[in-house]
Amino acid sequence: MSKILLSAFNSGKHFLLNSKILSENNKVINGINLIQIRTHLPLRIRYPFWFLQKERATYYENLTKKNREFLQDVIEETFGPAITLHGIPTHDVKSPLLSQPFVRGKWNIKSQRCGLIGRKIGIYPMWTKTGERIVTTLIQIVDNHVIKYIPPEEFDPIRKPYNNIGSKKKLGCLLVGAESTDPQKFTKEYCGLFFKQGLMPKNKLGRFLISPEAVIQPGTPLYVNHFRVGQYVDVRGQTIQRGFQGVMKRWGFHGMPATHGVTKTHRRPGCIGMGRDKSVQPGKKMPGHVGYRYRMARGLKVLRINTKYNVMYVTGRAIPGDTGSIVYIYDTNVTHKLLNHHNPPVFPTFYPEDLEEPLPEDQFTPELFNFSDPSIMYEVPVAPKKKK
Amino acid sequence: MKERLLNCAFKFLNSYFNSSKFACRSCSTKSKDDILKYQNDLFNAEKLRQKENIGRIEKIRVKYVGHPKNLDLIMNKYISTPFNCAQHMYEMLVRRSALALINGEKYWDMHRPLDADCELQLLHFQDEYPAQVNKAYWRTCSFMLGSVLSNAFKENIEIILHSFPKPNVRSGSFVYDVVIPSLPNWKPSIDELRILSAEMIKLSSQNLIVERLSVNEELACKIFESNKYKLEQIPAMSDQSLDKNIVLYRIGKHIDVSRGPMVGNVSFLGRCTITAVHKLEHNSENFYRFQGVSLPKGILLNHFAYSVLEKRAEKLNVGRLPWQYDDVFHPELQTAEATI
Repeated sequence: MSKILLSAFNSGKHFLLNSKILSENNKVINGINLIQIRTHLPLRIRYPFWFLQKERATYYENLTKKNREFLQDVIEETFGPAITLHGIPTHDVKSPLLSQPFVRGKWNIKSQRCGLIGRKIGIYPMWTKTGERIVTTLIQIVDNHVIKYIPPEEFDPIRKPYNNIGSKKKLGCLLVGAESTDPQKFTKEYCGLFFKQGLMPKNKLGRFLISPEAVIQPGTPLYVNHFRVGQYVDVRGQTIQRGFQGVMKRWGFHGMPATHGVTKTHRRPGCIGMGRDKSVQPGKKMPGHVGYRYRMARGLKVLRINTKYNVMYVTGRAIPGDTGSIVYIYDTNVTHKLLNHHNPPVFPTFYPEDLEEPLPEDQFTPELFNFSDPSIMYEVPVAPKKKK
Repeated sequence: MKERLLNCAFKFLNSYFNSSKFACRSCSTKSKDDILKYQNDLFNAEKLRQKENIGRIEKIRVKYVGHPKNLDLIMNKYISTPFNCAQHMYEMLVRRSALALINGEKYWDMHRPLDADCELQLLHFQDEYPAQVNKAYWRTCSFMLGSVLSNAFKENIEIILHSFPKPNVRSGSFVYDVVIPSLPNWKPSIDELRILSAEMIKLSSQNLIVERLSVNEELACKIFESNKYKLEQIPAMSDQSLDKNIVLYRIGKHIDVSRGPMVGNVSFLGRCTITAVHKLEHNSENFYRFQGVSLPKGILLNHFAYSVLEKRAEKLNVGRLPWQYDDVFHPELQTAEATI
């Protein structure tokens, strides 16, 4: 099904589905853009009445250079000096919390912990001590701060969790933000979310459902050491946009032979109905839109953590999304890979001020081989000579 | 000076008791509407009288210097205003001109009639050196604030406009000082300040012209007979002026005294926030200093940068206090003022 979407970008006040594709494929600056998007998007996004517009319509402000610099100084005064933390340019936001009204809870087997927001930055192989090659994906935790806590009594999302509607579990919600940005880029209402906590506005927001004992004080920074080496995580991301795809790529149909007299039918679905029924069955696998959906890669092991750049290495290359895209990382809920008493997590999160000594820069799982270590030497067994 | 004051006071009492509007001598309250009507009647009458006084219409040569091109205009003496000159030239000039400059030295209101051959420049907010336009704008904002305040309060609360100090853009806020006898300790809430800001914007959307009228001291005293503070100020002001006249400005129905030029129209007000109200202690009179900040229409600024301006405007303005007659001297503000 094809739709023609007419969009006006200069007002900046409309919500466009698929705005991500448009910004990537079309360099629209001002004026009306006529785009044909052949989509049947899987998600019908209906924004609630209180939805905040995030991005501000930018206009030329004609400020002098001095004034622009002064505004940066004001940002530094309000939010702290500009620093590079874990390789990411940010501001040293001094948490305004002297008093900690939230008491740190105690972990139990049923607790749901907060997650993190990261960016998929690439793929790299790791080797085990037995010589096995494991491909890992690198995820960098980009300047996370807890923005807000909504207790279970008040938390009532418009979209309830699909899998357990009517669940008796009373989960609160932690709003976590990633990547501090210049407040001048966003609308006043969006910035208000952060200013209330004395924090700098964030580029990305994410919700994490937590049990009440896992609450973290708003304003707390979150680090990659929130997860432990050797534990398992679920990673949620938005899959790569592949557009309108045929039945072979979309559903894995086999198609028809390329040669041997096959006429004009190589990648087609073939028969789509039965003789008696005069209609096509609803849900028939047909060509359509592929990708750009949120999918979860489950049960990935954290093999290595780098504390300098806040990077974690997880098994596999199948994390949804392009390199550089945002991902949400949670403790796994794959049954045989759950956190247990043998490997309890840091709870509710990792606080660097609790440590007496700083952590080593790189933490590896025991089976992984660290290339800084000396090579592993072993004897090759010699086969015994056979007697005639 | 004292004589003048007594003279004024005597005239005030005279007119008060002779007025046929009052049934009894002990009646001391005229309604706001009545006062306003009285003031406007006097203003209109004087305006008409001055117009009719012109007699034979003479011509003056006005040389316009500036964008898009220099032009020579033949205009009417004592009738044509710089605004009329702009109307003869380009619509762009009509829309954007806030202030006029005569012979390169005298700043002139847009709706003030020209009185001699002159060289005219039309100033606007995007000028290379907009210092004087900004000053006039700040002055106009104070004037508009006065108008808003005189109408914003409930009927039973008497508000007496006192004055406003010299406009100082560098100080971060424009100011109007008022006396509210019935409110000894008023601290406005954020919503009340927002209401005042909204009133300023509403006033700006009425597109009212800022009219100027030069009157003699006697008439000024008559117009402001219900405002005791203005009556005190008028003799001092007429002393300072060259022709012993008082300059009155009017927007809509609100009339006030001010020395310097104002911008041509109330619609030049763009963004406006009334940021704070400070109580000033003096002689057990309830002085309140209303402060605000604003940007002219067309000057765009993001919310974060504007909030920096708002925060600054909340601090008490250093302009002269209402009971002081000399401007407060601030060396660091004095020197920097000319550049803005």
